[in-house]
Amino acid sequence: MTDGSIWSVAPLVLLGFAAILAMVLAPVQPTPRVRLAAAVPMALAVLILLFRLDAPEAPLSVLLADDGMARLGALLAAAAGLGTLSFTRTICTGREGPALVAIAATGGVALASANHGATLFLGLELTTLPMVALALMPRTEAAVEAGYKLFLIAGIGAGAVLMGLAFGFGASGSLRLDAWSVEGPIAAIGLAFLLVGLSVKFALVPFHMWSPDLFAGAPAPVGALAGSISKVAVAIAALRIGLSLPAPEIWKLGLLLTGGAAVILGNLAALRQDNLLRMLGYSSIAHSGYIALVLAVGGDLMGDTVLVYVASYAPAIIAAFAVAGLMGAETRLEDLRGLAWSRPLAGVALGVALLSMAGLPPAVGFIAKIYLFSSLAGEAAWGPLVIAAVGSALGFAYYLRFSIKIFTAPVGPTPRAVLNRADGLAMAVAVALVVALGLYPEPLTALVAASLP
Amino acid sequence: MGLSLQILLPFFGGLAVLFAPRFGRDMERWGTIAVMAVTLLILIFISLNGDSGRWLQMVQADWAPSFGIQVLLAMDGLTAAMLAISAGLGIVCVFISWEVTHRSPLYHAVICWTVAAANGVFLSFDLLVFAFFWELMIIPAFLLIGLWGYGNRESAAMKFLVFNAVAGLGLLAAVFWMGATAPEITFDAFELAEAGYSTPVQVILLLGFALAFMVKLPVPPFHAWLPDAHTQAPTAGSILLAGLLLKTGAYGLFRFPPLLFPDGLMAVAPYGMALGAFGVVYGAILACGQFDAKRLIAYTSIAHMSIVLMGVCGGVHFALAGAGVEMIAHAFSSSALFLLIGALQHRTGTRDLRELGGLQKTAPAFATSFAVFFAAALAMPGTANFLGEALVITGMFQVNWAFAAIALVSLVVSVVYATRLIGAIVFGKPKAETAVFDDLKPYELWPIIALGAGTIVFGLFPQVLIGWLRPAIDAALLPLGVGAP
Repeated sequence: MTDGSIWSVAPLVLLGFAAILAMVLAPVQPTPRVRLAAAVPMALAVLILLFRLDAPEAPLSVLLADDGMARLGALLAAAAGLGTLSFTRTICTGREGPALVAIAATGGVALASANHGATLFLGLELTTLPMVALALMPRTEAAVEAGYKLFLIAGIGAGAVLMGLAFGFGASGSLRLDAWSVEGPIAAIGLAFLLVGLSVKFALVPFHMWSPDLFAGAPAPVGALAGSISKVAVAIAALRIGLSLPAPEIWKLGLLLTGGAAVILGNLAALRQDNLLRMLGYSSIAHSGYIALVLAVGGDLMGDTVLVYVASYAPAIIAAFAVAGLMGAETRLEDLRGLAWSRPLAGVALGVALLSMAGLPPAVGFIAKIYLFSSLAGEAAWGPLVIAAVGSALGFAYYLRFSIKIFTAPVGPTPRAVLNRADGLAMAVAVALVVALGLYPEPLTALVAASLP
Repeated sequence: MGLSLQILLPFFGGLAVLFAPRFGRDMERWGTIAVMAVTLLILIFISLNGDSGRWLQMVQADWAPSFGIQVLLAMDGLTAAMLAISAGLGIVCVFISWEVTHRSPLYHAVICWTVAAANGVFLSFDLLVFAFFWELMIIPAFLLIGLWGYGNRESAAMKFLVFNAVAGLGLLAAVFWMGATAPEITFDAFELAEAGYSTPVQVILLLGFALAFMVKLPVPPFHAWLPDAHTQAPTAGSILLAGLLLKTGAYGLFRFPPLLFPDGLMAVAPYGMALGAFGVVYGAILACGQFDAKRLIAYTSIAHMSIVLMGVCGGVHFALAGAGVEMIAHAFSSSALFLLIGALQHRTGTRDLRELGGLQKTAPAFATSFAVFFAAALAMPGTANFLGEALVITGMFQVNWAFAAIALVSLVVSVVYATRLIGAIVFGKPKAETAVFDDLKPYELWPIIALGAGTIVFGLFPQVLIGWLRPAIDAALLPLGVGAP
């Protein structure tokens, strides 16, 4: 290890430290204080990552990469963790909430910089297991169902990843992801298994069953983690595999099928939902599908598109869940009526988040849609382009059905929602990011372009 | 800089208006008027001090250089006319909404944002930024219909939004394909005009663009959103829809297909003219059968906007000039008609022709202005609308006499609906609803006089308007291989 590598590893260490600190403090301190204690080292990690964004690439170790992509992914994961932390409450996630969120963020950072089978597996488990624990916290029927579903299906996914790693090792004699560019049936089977494992985490159809239940049944921070950290980290891990291997057919075909199915099914199912969180759950399946389509099609813009897409989706989903956390799990379409008038910040945050997910200006989601369509059109992938266009057309219908309710005049009692300072801060930061990057995307696009090899 | 103010000023003005009531009563109204007036003054200043070349002014700046997106704003006489209409209608909307008190700050902010986004559409020549504003424009209009509309507003707003957002995807896909396949990613319309696509590719791209434009215009069979949106929208919403949003479709059709896809336009022009001719007849016939005054005018809008489509597809000098004039003339006449119907509904609570009548006795000023603007919508000689339609039909005779004949016949049909509307509202005996009727108030009269002056002055001195539009018309004709006569 060189001197510089202290800084490379510092974010991971700080996040782990935050988790331990929160764990130690949880039995003796009230949740807000635990939250603050965990937030300080996490914020420090975000700052370090921000300052090191343009530092030269430093091969940290055989296990972890320290390149631009890893840093961007780590930044997103740590920031998402910080955002999620702000709305963990004793009432929904117990006193252990902050510690579990910090562990998940650590896992996300590890996964984003994984260039080795071992880190990949560890990162996946580190992000999944805290989500299971968090989901089980309220011990309601819905939460228990969500938690067990995630546990079982993610367990199968973990098994598939291990099988994939084993086959890959068998074919290439190494667990390093960049050593896997070997031909042959064994390597192909390995990749197929790996793809199944990642698809489970990414909620691609037909491995998506856990996702809507988790979004709707588990406490709000879990959905936020599933939508932000685990989406960012898995997308970056898949992108790393896609970039380091020369166009393996089985990988592309698998992503094309699961991704296309996810876009169609996710959007169609979301169209029928009346429950805000279920709608978000199905729509997040669709968003995973768009990313999978881009990874399947490849091309010059693949890397930029995946990174811009996850970077624009993460703040939107965190803002949406911050509001959903206030409103409760059983928030139906009618309950949102007039939210913008009774709680302006929460209403605007949810409205802007939905606008961004629908891909309309001035939200950053429009920029993500530019990249998505350009990347598919640039490769003349007409099939995926049509699927993506139909998907986003359906998206308009259900996202805007919800957002118009937020701004319509309230009748009867106004939505119940009590904001505290941390909630407000998380919402304000997320909205500011979504709108500012939507109006002036250059910082994001330049950062993304610089972070790709 | 000056041109970007045409977008930034209404946008930030809209934000400021949200907080205006803190400074006194009705401040949001005066604030909106001030924003629009300053925007208009800057526009006049730029137009008078413009460059002498093709463009009066052109602004170029980076937006997202790593993805080849730039701010490329250019203004010629046509753009200036559209910008003047948009700021002017902004002021009109404030005046006629003086009695709107429900969430008034947001209402006025939404008016400002509609104007800002429409100005962005009129000015942008970076296709991606154009698409950005094109999509952005939907949102304030959606809010305006959905929040301040009448009875069935939410479903009308959804219909408006889904139609327009989905159609926008055609534009987006075409723009992205053009940008991503350029040697170096760019969305500069002038650079992409040189790209030399083959005719089949041009046709496909043109269809993507045309989908967005024809839904906004709207031409049958893409028109289903318009009657509902107009019926449910508040008066200001109807005015902005008819005067501004529909015109963005006409403007886009006028500006981009001849520039970017001249061969494609020539290839599909006969179908475009046929669709236009169908739209003219369809709109006119359906207008005859309506009992709801707003719906009736909405269908006439479909007919008049179809004439613009015919004119652009005609691709000859007269027709194209006519399309340019028609879209400006129709902005005046249709927004005035919606203003009057809005006033009518506000006073009587109904728009049903069967319950109205005899206003020439109870409200002479209302009846007179109604008759004047319906004459304009009928394209009577002496109004700017006559000039527009006459030029299009003259041009059509050069290209295809059958379509010209169809358009001419539809003018006869328009006499039917016009007399029906005028007869039902202005003449006859006053009914229960109209027996007591306050005539136009000053805040309604001034906008009417301004719009009427535009219609008649441009009708009597058409050369002024044609002179402004000349550079735009010539530039549109040049790639089509047709010189000015």
